[in-house]
Amino acid sequence: MKRPFGWLDAVLVAIALAAMLFLLYPAVVIFTGSVQTSATLFDPGRFAFTWDNYVRLFDSGFGRFLGNSVAICLAAVFLSTLLSAMAAYVLSRRRLRGRRLLLGAILAGQLFPWIVLVTPLFILFARLGLTNSYAGIVFCYTAISIPFSLYMLLGYLDSIPRELDEAAAIDGCGLPGILRHVIAPLLVPGLVATATYAFLLCWTEYLFALAFLTRAGMKTLPLGLAAFFGENTTDWGAVMAASAVTTLPALLLFLPLQWRMTSGLAAGGVKQ
Amino acid sequence: MFGRSRRDGLIAWAMLAPALLVLAGFYLYPTGYGLWISLTDLNLLRLRQGGSFVGLANYEAVLGDSEFWRVMWRTAFWLTAVSVLLRVVLGLGLALLLESAAIRRAKLRTPLRLALIVPWATPAIVAVATWRWLLDPQFGAINRALVWLGLLREPHPFLADTATVWPTLLLILVWNTLPVATLAFVAALQSVPRELAEAAALDGAGRAGIFRAVTWPHIAPTVLIVAMLLVFWTFNNFVYVWLTTGGGPGRFTNVLAVEVYVRGFIDFQLGASATIGMVMAVAMAIFGAIYMRFAGRRVLGNAP
Repeated sequence: MKRPFGWLDAVLVAIALAAMLFLLYPAVVIFTGSVQTSATLFDPGRFAFTWDNYVRLFDSGFGRFLGNSVAICLAAVFLSTLLSAMAAYVLSRRRLRGRRLLLGAILAGQLFPWIVLVTPLFILFARLGLTNSYAGIVFCYTAISIPFSLYMLLGYLDSIPRELDEAAAIDGCGLPGILRHVIAPLLVPGLVATATYAFLLCWTEYLFALAFLTRAGMKTLPLGLAAFFGENTTDWGAVMAASAVTTLPALLLFLPLQWRMTSGLAAGGVKQ
Repeated sequence: MFGRSRRDGLIAWAMLAPALLVLAGFYLYPTGYGLWISLTDLNLLRLRQGGSFVGLANYEAVLGDSEFWRVMWRTAFWLTAVSVLLRVVLGLGLALLLESAAIRRAKLRTPLRLALIVPWATPAIVAVATWRWLLDPQFGAINRALVWLGLLREPHPFLADTATVWPTLLLILVWNTLPVATLAFVAALQSVPRELAEAAALDGAGRAGIFRAVTWPHIAPTVLIVAMLLVFWTFNNFVYVWLTTGGGPGRFTNVLAVEVYVRGFIDFQLGASATIGMVMAVAMAIFGAIYMRFAGRRVLGNAP
């Protein structure tokens, strides 16, 4: 029942191509711009390859921001995934009074405006000496990752049959054994997906970093990148290189994950 | 697997407690503390002495200020309503396009999905940096293209002109966040049973008829939830406006989240900053209640 390719189909294809250009062009500009000499960057007709922008970027101390971001995000992701997995296991396997209320409250955390928390948290952090500290920002990033991590892991855990736990228990396996030998191996894909999303959330976070990390040695990548603006002249070559360094890890993590997960995540996450 | 024993009960709570403590310490306690701060005149420079209790003076000052209501209007209309509507309409359009027979036959489905993931993975700060470069009046590709095409006589400073700054800001925001909405809609569209659409087509329904009778009822709950999530995320959003215009030109694009930051961390008035935060939280709570009142049944009860 193949219809011929009509003019309407041609219009739809044209729209799709235009949409792809719109979606991809800015990203292409980042990567091509970052390896262009400044002379050709400002001259659309020409292109000359160079690593100079990256050299200049890292000479100006950008490596420190990169290191901070990696350390802070990894610590926060480890903590939030661990805490969420423990809590999700309990919520998945045990009848608790007030379970629905608890889940509702955690979901509310996902919607809660961070901007409302910034001012009071800053005051508390300042009094506790947690501003400009790894502990303070790791705490924040752990907390912002927990609500959706918990929900995602709860979905994965609910799909692991309870009978497996019960069979292991009847065989004399205690809770630590069940967690290690039954649950953990089956939960690995869920843990990887959850941790990836948490990493991306922390990697791109700007507001808390801006408010709580004011010392240059403590700043993260997004802050380092934003610092290129605001001066009188913007070093666009360095901005492109910094943008590429900030985007590449996110893109490399996101593409494979999203490729497999789009339908499942959106359907499950949205229709809770 | 937990037994009924007291010991297992304790273990269960011990596993639950760390996550709950972090959440309480991050969301609950600061919110309560923020409410208290909003009733004081605490100043960032006098943090050690603390502020003194001023009752509702901050609220009177904020709510009585006509500039505050202008900021509220901008946040609600430009930043939130227009951008959410744009993303829902464009996202739905793109999702339908992605699922259309024409795109499948042209083998564009995979490339288009790939293209959607790229802006999604781009951090907001990078999105803003890149678009600022593209829009740069002197060197930007967009101005060059528009002048070359003869659409502009000379390069236009899109982000410095009050006539173009909001649409331009929304362009950046939509570019970065449209894929989330689109891919959620795609997932919903894939859950529509094909037999229903085919049966409707056999009964003589046209494209529009099939959409209204079959597709829309199936995807409406997803659309309504995505719209609500976008409203919450956007109304409170700080980064796009702050990084793109800083609230300018002048205070033309100043929005509530930027106001909270500026009042607290640039003007040092932590009390007033917390007050605006509280007003935002209340506004969102009211919106959520009204939205669920009208859309709640569709969202929760009518799901396929």
